[in-house]
Amino acid sequence: MEYTLEELEEMKQIILIAIPKEISARDFYLKAAKKFKTQESIQLFLALADQEKGHEASLRKILTEIDANIKKLKNEK
Amino acid sequence: MKLEELSKFNGQNGEKAYIAYKGKVYDVTNSKRWKNGVHMARHKAGEDLTDFLALAPHTDEVLKSFEVVDTLETQESSDTKIKETLINLYQKFHPHPVLIHYPLGLFFFAALMQALFLLTSLKSFDDSAIYAFFVATVMAVPAISAGFLSWWINYDKQTTKIFKNKIIFSFILLLIGIFNIILRLTHPNIAANPDFTFVLYNVLIFANLFIVLFIAFLGGKITWA
Repeated sequence: MEYTLEELEEMKQIILIAIPKEISARDFYLKAAKKFKTQESIQLFLALADQEKGHEASLRKILTEIDANIKKLKNEK
Repeated sequence: MKLEELSKFNGQNGEKAYIAYKGKVYDVTNSKRWKNGVHMARHKAGEDLTDFLALAPHTDEVLKSFEVVDTLETQESSDTKIKETLINLYQKFHPHPVLIHYPLGLFFFAALMQALFLLTSLKSFDDSAIYAFFVATVMAVPAISAGFLSWWINYDKQTTKIFKNKIIFSFILLLIGIFNIILRLTHPNIAANPDFTFVLYNVLIFANLFIVLFIAFLGGKITWA
């Protein structure tokens, strides 16, 4: 799908704003994991923290792709 | 191998398909699920997939069936380490949201006091306005500095529209603040002899209220989208 430069920049802004939220969520679950002593509870929160890390990595990957598309569109202009 | 070397093994044009997970490099070339180096139309070979596995519908057990061909050398720069430390400290103390409330509240208070002075002509309101305006301007410096720190560590200094506006209007806020304080210091009896300077002084006091509100609105959009 072809996007306009404005759409890509809007998408970039959303992704950029979302990344620190994923980092915060991961931090939140890591802190939660420290509050418990049972392995089951600890593993639950560590797994949730890992998922947030995964979201962050996905967003960073998307950001790289968006940046590449913005650069391409700007060069075409 | 290093990450750059790993990227060559992308499973395309006859190349082998390697992926990295927790420091180990696996050969997934012969897997049915990694045709042409692509997995589930989402992940590509030649990359470190450590962070992505938690999102997969399977565990890392699936990797046991693949041969480990090498280990992945991590290349964490000193800049990355500094950034990680700062992110941790930032997450702990939240300096920008904390500091921004001082100029926000004080510019509002200064405008309120100035409005009361204009209505009542009581000198105490005039004094309160300039003192509040002065402290608000001083407090804008650490608030803006913390904003730059946040922009660097959280948003990689990316200059999208919202960040550009925040930066431009923060500097305008600061410049108006400094200019108006100088104006007041050089014209201490400004209120006694209302002229163009007095009008300008008032306009700038109220202007900074709207500018700080606009900056706060942009901050709200970043935080709450």
